[in-house]
This record gives sequence, structure tokens and C-alpha cells, in this order.
Amino acid sequence: MSAFLKQVLGYTSDAIDAGKYLLKGLSVTFDHMRRRPITVQYPYEKLIPSERYRGRIHYEFDKCIACEVCVRVCPINLPVVDWVMNKETKKKELRNYSIDFGVCIFCGNCVEYCPTNCLSMTEEYELSAFDRHSLNFDNVALGRLPTSVTTDPAVQPLRELAYLPVGKIDPHGVASDQPRAGHLPSDLLNGLQKEAPLEKKSDVELSDGENLKG
Amino acid sequence: MTIATSTELICFLVLSTVIVLGSLGVVLLENIVYSAFMLGGVFMAVAGLYLLLNASFVAAAQVLVYVGAVNVLIIFAIMLVNKREELKPIKGLRLRRIVSGAVCIGLLVLLVRVAIITPWPLPGPIAIGEEATARIGEHLFTDYLLPFELASVLLLMAMIGAIVLARRDVYDSELLAGDDMKEGLIEQTPTPLLVDKSSP
Amino acid sequence: MMTFTFFATSYLGIAGPGLDLKSSFVDSLQSFGLSTEMARLLWLPLPMLLVLTAAMVGVLVTVWLERKISAAAQQRIGPEFAGALGVLQPMADGLKLLVKEDVIPARADGLLFSLGPVLVLVPVILSWLIVPFGQTLLISNVGVGIFLWISLSSIQPIGLLMSGYASNNKYSLLGGLRAAAQSISYEIPLALSVLAVVMMSNSLSTVEIVNLQNDAGLLSWNVWRQPVGFVIFWICVLAECERLPFDLPEAEEELVAGYQTEYAGMKFALFYLGSYINLVLSALLVSVLYLGGWGFPIPVEWLASWLSQPIDAPLIQLVTGSVGIVMTVLKAYLLVFLAILLRWTTPRVRIDQLLDLGWKFLLPISLVNLLVTAALKLLFPLAFGG
Ligand code: SF4
Ligand code: SF4
Repeated sequence: MSAFLKQVLGYTSDAIDAGKYLLKGLSVTFDHMRRRPITVQYPYEKLIPSERYRGRIHYEFDKCIACEVCVRVCPINLPVVDWVMNKETKKKELRNYSIDFGVCIFCGNCVEYCPTNCLSMTEEYELSAFDRHSLNFDNVALGRLPTSVTTDPAVQPLRELAYLPVGKIDPHGVASDQPRAGHLPSDLLNGLQKEAPLEKKSDVELSDGENLKG
Repeated sequence: MTIATSTELICFLVLSTVIVLGSLGVVLLENIVYSAFMLGGVFMAVAGLYLLLNASFVAAAQVLVYVGAVNVLIIFAIMLVNKREELKPIKGLRLRRIVSGAVCIGLLVLLVRVAIITPWPLPGPIAIGEEATARIGEHLFTDYLLPFELASVLLLMAMIGAIVLARRDVYDSELLAGDDMKEGLIEQTPTPLLVDKSSP
Repeated sequence: MMTFTFFATSYLGIAGPGLDLKSSFVDSLQSFGLSTEMARLLWLPLPMLLVLTAAMVGVLVTVWLERKISAAAQQRIGPEFAGALGVLQPMADGLKLLVKEDVIPARADGLLFSLGPVLVLVPVILSWLIVPFGQTLLISNVGVGIFLWISLSSIQPIGLLMSGYASNNKYSLLGGLRAAAQSISYEIPLALSVLAVVMMSNSLSTVEIVNLQNDAGLLSWNVWRQPVGFVIFWICVLAECERLPFDLPEAEEELVAGYQTEYAGMKFALFYLGSYINLVLSALLVSVLYLGGWGFPIPVEWLASWLSQPIDAPLIQLVTGSVGIVMTVLKAYLLVFLAILLRWTTPRVRIDQLLDLGWKFLLPISLVNLLVTAALKLLFPLAFGG
């Protein structure tokens, strides 16, 4: 009998515990109602991609020397470099260049190794299409520049989390002149310069270079 | 004829047609699943007849017990064992059909005869309608107490039987061998999935 | 003021205790020279239409609430652009489903496939007959009352099994079987906990059940007398509606969408409607059975006597009636809110846990609850409805 009672008691206390945990969970969910959404409403509002964003690749046909380094460093040998040997000049003559962005993994190897810097990564990420073949960009399409989020009049540009002022989480309603949290390398360098004005001058130039976007 | 009585008549005719055709379908249809669903329809129509007789409690009970429990159980069983295999042709099928049809028609004739020769008091007793629920309860716990209790005992026996059948593992090995039944069969300590590496 | 009360008396038919719409409608038609029977016949479809409209509006509101509250719980915005705050979104969804192609799979059983969703939806709508919004504001005060709901909701599994079988798809069949098993197992503790309430109020009729709870306002609600029954009922109702801790029949990760897998367009919409109507209906019934139905937390009679107004003055009756409707709907939607909150809190149970909970936990407890209620009723006939 006592064993049975014990079982019943254990059962009851289990049930009460379960109820307690359920209430705890409910209170957590309820607490979440208090927090406001920070949703970026995509086609009307867009986040500004960061400086090092690896988006669709931009290509300059005129700079390319058809060396095929990009093909060799690409993990999947993706870029198609279509050239013919001009027998008279004994030079490669580039006819077409294309990258299929349905296959590209945006690793940036080609950009890194291109000897003439004719490849670069843009901030364009809107690469959806009705037909996957239309993602195969030829040299003309690769040569187009994307519309920048900040200059598009139909889009409200919003800063990403890391670029917001201290303590801010919601990008909405943050004035564009409010400084971001933390210091840029250039700021640090400026500070260092004030402390030790006898530093070399080359550092200052470097800092100007870094300051392009931040 | 007032609107009320004619509506009642129409309802009665429709329900009776559904019942007759439905029961014929239950018996005659080849596909057993259709038969089961037809049976549900027949039960519903019978509940409709009870409603026409102003016996709403009985109608609700009919739906709950026959449609909600019996029929669902039948369909459940059919679906769990639905193998879709061809049945073997039975010998003398036609003769069997004729015999069973004759028996059925004989029964029907008997019933119709009883219905015709019984002197029904017309109009019948007035339906008590809403009070029926209380009256049924009273009857169940006074003059029908014995059948009621017997039915409960029967149900209890069926329940225990079901448990024994469901735990056939106990039944087979231990009960037949005369061993003690393992009480904590469900709460047995589970054998660990990974072999304990520390012991050789 | 005079004209207003005149309007109230002639059109809402305030006669005797509470509002009686039917007799006033019939009377007003008779005054146009129709026979009584014709007038009654004309009255017949009106409550049904009203029920359908109420159910549809209830569903639209619930769908919108569900999406908005889910969004809030996950710090999203939810529907926003269709109408102010996205209130038209459910309407747009419905319209989309309405014009979508009605696909019947090639190897499916066409007849049963179409009949299944209907069998799921119709009992739920019929059950709205017994939901009271006021003393006389319900479609039919049938004697079997709450029992009607229990028996009607037992038809649903047949529709689920039918659609699961007819789809000719293993996921559908499994989903249908699960749904049927679930609603059969949870019907029993549900009925037992309803039985405890019925035992206390000595009647199956929903009006009587609410009336018993409105002697002393908030304090006389059944939830204080039946706390265990309340919890059991709520759990069972969630299981019957296939709401989240118990949504195994349509567990996306395992069964695609359960018995709804093959359905599209309007037939899918019927399932969708059915589940939401069922949710609203269940919330309404919880509020009727345990939370005092149309009763205001402070009895309206007290307020009236405090304002020294006669309780059956037409104006007071009108106010009482509207407060009743508002209270019923408010309680129901608070419960819907709780259900949505539970949806985002609890993980789905496994099928064995589900049956465990139903048969080994809720069933014994509801039996004990019934016994204890009976004992308490004999001991304290005053508090527990002698
Ligand atoms: S980004 Fe990477 S994957 Fe894409 S083309 Fe360049 S090397 Fe190839
Ligand atoms: S590495 Fe640069 S220069 Fe060489 S083929 Fe590729 S794009 Fe042209």
C-alpha cells in the first residue's frame, strides 16, 4: 500500500513539476512579446553590405590578359576564358569571358590571384532568376556595376548591426552621421599620432586608404 | 397538412431511404472500406430517425457510440490490416447467396407481418422530449440496475482481456510456463545501447 | 431616447427575461400578414446563417491573431500590408484558396476524397448551435446541450480517416490514423471532465451550466470548483483541435502534412477552416463550462441594483445582452491567445507520449476528479450544486 502511495505521490509531484516548467516556458514566450521586431522590410529597406562583402564579381574585359590564373585557382575551375592564339602577333586574343553565378561559391580566390586586378567583388547579392541559365554572366554582364543601396532612391538603406552606434540594435531611425560603435583603424592611428607626433608619415597615408568606406 | 407535418414526412422518407439503401450497400458492396463508411451513414440516419421521434438524447448517444466509437473502430481495423489481396473464389457462391437472400427475405416478411398485425396505439404516447435524459438515468439506476451492472462487468472483462491480448509477451512466455509475471514490464531498466567499454 | 427604446423593443424583441429575437421576428412578420408557420419557416435559416457568419468571422479574426501573435512571440512583424496591420490577410488567403485549382490525385478515390473534408467541417459548424452568448442568445437550447457537442465531435475522426484513406498516400493514411487515434483517446477524459461539470449543474444544457456560475460573479465560476477538470479539459481540447503540443497528425517533419497532404484549393481550405472553427468553438466552450460564459466578473444584477435600475428595463436588458456577448467572446479569445502562446512554447510530443498522457494520466485523473466531485456534491450540496 505504501509503495502504491509513494508511486502516486511521485506521479503527482512529477505532474506539478511539469506544470511549473510549462509555466516557466510560457512566461519566456510571453516575455518575448515585449521585444520589438527589428525587421528589415526587404524590397523597401535594405541593409548596406559591409566593405568586404563578397557579392557578384565585376570584370573588366580590357584589363584581362587571358592568363587563366583565375580558372586554376578556382576550386571548381569555373571562369570560362575563351581566347584564340593570334598567329601573326603571337599573342592571345580574348574573345569571351564568363562566370556562372549559379555555380560560383563566391570564395574570392579568382579576385585574389588575378595578376591584373581585372576581377573585383561587388556588393550585389540579388541573384535570383527564373531560369538558372540566366545566371551565367558573360563579359558584358560582368562589366556592369550594381546599383548601390545608398544611392537607390526606391530603397531605404539601413546599417548592419556592427555599424550601429553603441547600444543600438534597431537600425531604423539612426541618423547617418551618428558614429558607429568602436574605432576604425584610422581613428586609432590618429590617436596614436597625437600621442607620438614623431611617427613616420607613411602610416597616415595608409589610414586615409582605410577610411574609404567606414 | 401543415408545413411541420409535411416536413416531418419528407425527413422520414429521406432517412428511411438512406437507411435501406445504405444497409443494402453495406452488405452488397465489394469494397470493404465503402461498406464501413456506408455503415457510418446508416448509423447517422438512424440517429436522424431518433431525432424525428423527439428523442434527442438517444440520438446523440447513438452518434457517440455507434458512429464515434464502433464505426471508427471498424474503419480503423480495416485500414490497419488493409492488404488488398484477391479473395479466393468460394465454392458454390451462388447457392450460398440464394440461401442467405431467402433467409433475409423471410425475416423481412416476418417483421413486416408483425408490424402490420400489431395494434399500434395511435397516436402513440407523447414524447417526453427534454426530460428523457433524466428519465433514462432514473431507469438505469432503479429497475434496470442489474443489466446495467452486468454490462459494466462485461466491459471490465473485455478491458482486461484486451490488456492481456495486447501484452502477449507476458501471456506467451511467462503465463504459460507458470512463471511469475514480471510486474515492471514497462518500467524495466533499459539495456544500454552502447556496450560498456570499461568491462572486458 | 424614447425612439431608441422603441427600436430596441420592437426589433430586438425584449420581452420577459432577456432578449427573445425569434418571437419578435415572427411577430413582426405576422403583423405583415404572414401565417405563423410561414414566419417560423422564414426564421429558420436566419440563425444558421448567423452561425455560419459568426464562425467565419471568428476564424478570420483567429487566423489574423494567430499570425500576429506568433510574429510578436518571434519578434517579427507578421502580415502588414494587406489592410491596416494586415487585417485583410486571412481574407486574401481565403480568396487565394478559393480560386486555386482543385486537384484530385489520379489514383485517389474521388468520392471519399471530396467527402472527407465535408465530414470534418460540418460537425464542427453544427456544434456552434449550443454555444450561448446570453440567456436566450443561442441558436437552440436543446436539452442534450453539451452532449450534442461531444457526440458531434466524435464524427470528425471518420472524416479524417476517410480523407487519409482516399488520398492513396502513405503519409495521408498515417496522418489520418494518428488523428483518429488521438481524437478517440482524448474524447474520453474530455467527456469525463464535462460530466463532472454537468453533475454539479444538474443539467446538460449550456444555459443552465452558465446560469449556475453567475450567482456571485467571478467567485462562482466553475474553474474554482473544478480546477483539475479545467486543466484536463483544456489539454483534451488542444488535442482534439490538433494544436501544437499535440499536432502529430500533421507533423511536418514526419508526415509532410498528414491527412491534408494531397489536398489543395477549396478542399484544403475546408480542413483549415474546420481546425480554426474548432479552436474558436473549443475556447468558447471552455469559457462556457469553466469561466462563467457570458457572465461579467461582477454580476450585472448587482450593478443594476447599485445603480438602482430595475433589472428588466429594456435598456438594462440591452446592455446586459451586449456585455454578455462581449464577455463570452473576450474570454474565448483570451483562451485562443493562451493556445497560441502554448504553440510557441511547447515542443511536439511523440505518439507514444501522447497516448501515454491520454490513457495513463488524464483518464485516471479525470475519473478521480469525477468521484471527488460526486463526493463533494454530497458533502457540500450548497457549493457544488445539490
Ligand atoms: S569566386 Fe571562387 S568559385 Fe567564384 S569564380 Fe572566383 S574562384 Fe571560382
Ligand atoms: S586571372 Fe585575371 S587576367 Fe587572368 S584570365 Fe583571369 S581575369 Fe583574366
